[in-house]
Amino acid sequence: MTEFEQQLAQALERREPPAGFTSRVLAAASQQPTRSRWQAWRWAFVLRAAPVMAALLVVAGGALYQNYERIERGEAAKQQLLLAVKIAGAKLYDARQRVVSIGEIRGAGTEEEQ
Amino acid sequence: MAISAAQKGIPDVRSDVAPPFADVVEIHKAMVFSIAWHFLRDRALSEELAQDVFLELHRHWAAMKSPEHIVFWLRKVTCNRCIDVVRRRKLRRETSLEESPEPAMLERVQDPLLSAYLQRMVASLPEKQRLLVVLRYQEGMEPEEIARMLNINSSTVKTQISRALELLRAKTAQRLKTQREAEA
Repeated sequence: MTEFEQQLAQALERREPPAGFTSRVLAAASQQPTRSRWQAWRWAFVLRAAPVMAALLVVAGGALYQNYERIERGEAAKQQLLLAVKIAGAKLYDARQRVVSIGEIRGAGTEEEQ
Repeated sequence: MAISAAQKGIPDVRSDVAPPFADVVEIHKAMVFSIAWHFLRDRALSEELAQDVFLELHRHWAAMKSPEHIVFWLRKVTCNRCIDVVRRRKLRRETSLEESPEPAMLERVQDPLLSAYLQRMVASLPEKQRLLVVLRYQEGMEPEEIARMLNINSSTVKTQISRALELLRAKTAQRLKTQREAEA
């Protein structure tokens, strides 16, 4: 340490607070509640557990959202399928109607020939 | 500078039993008050801050693991409180060290006055450098210890202290020169 640093250390030496400091602190301390060991432990636990809980919430939220999306996609596919069945049913009905009408026309022609 | 554990007021660190709260206040009051005083240069404010620090220690008493932990905790909380106070109350001087006026030329450069001068100069340093200088030269902490306590790089601590010393040294040399000229 240089001479200047020694002078600096000397200039910055500790000094005592005003008289009665300790008694004032103790008087004020006696009026405030202290955290019990259990409370201190609980706070430490909460502080340490908070990030873990947050991570769990994010993971659980992600899983729930994925599940919701899967159900939504299933519902959409079901609606499309129902629509397709409906259209196919309508087409089949039309075709059947045509077949029936053609059959009726042919039947009427044969009777007339006889 | 090598300040022994006893000088720093640290009870035997091997002791697992924390001393009573009143003893801790008695042992460490000068440390806490002096950090605040050298940082804030306001006696009433420093006393208030020191009281608040000890009251907070009292609230967290159950979490204290060892005498060494108590010293570490007190220093850290005091430093944080000092910075909070300066930021909140805008106590930091607007002028930088380079801009700060020279003390009156008639002041004698005797040791007590030089000490007072140095204290004023330290108080005019920027917050960060001031805190580091106080911890280094009042508390005798090594740069690595300071870095650990303030969660900063030890090379940053060394650089900042070195810069602060350069400024202080230059300022003091200039003052001595002016003093000699005035006397001649």
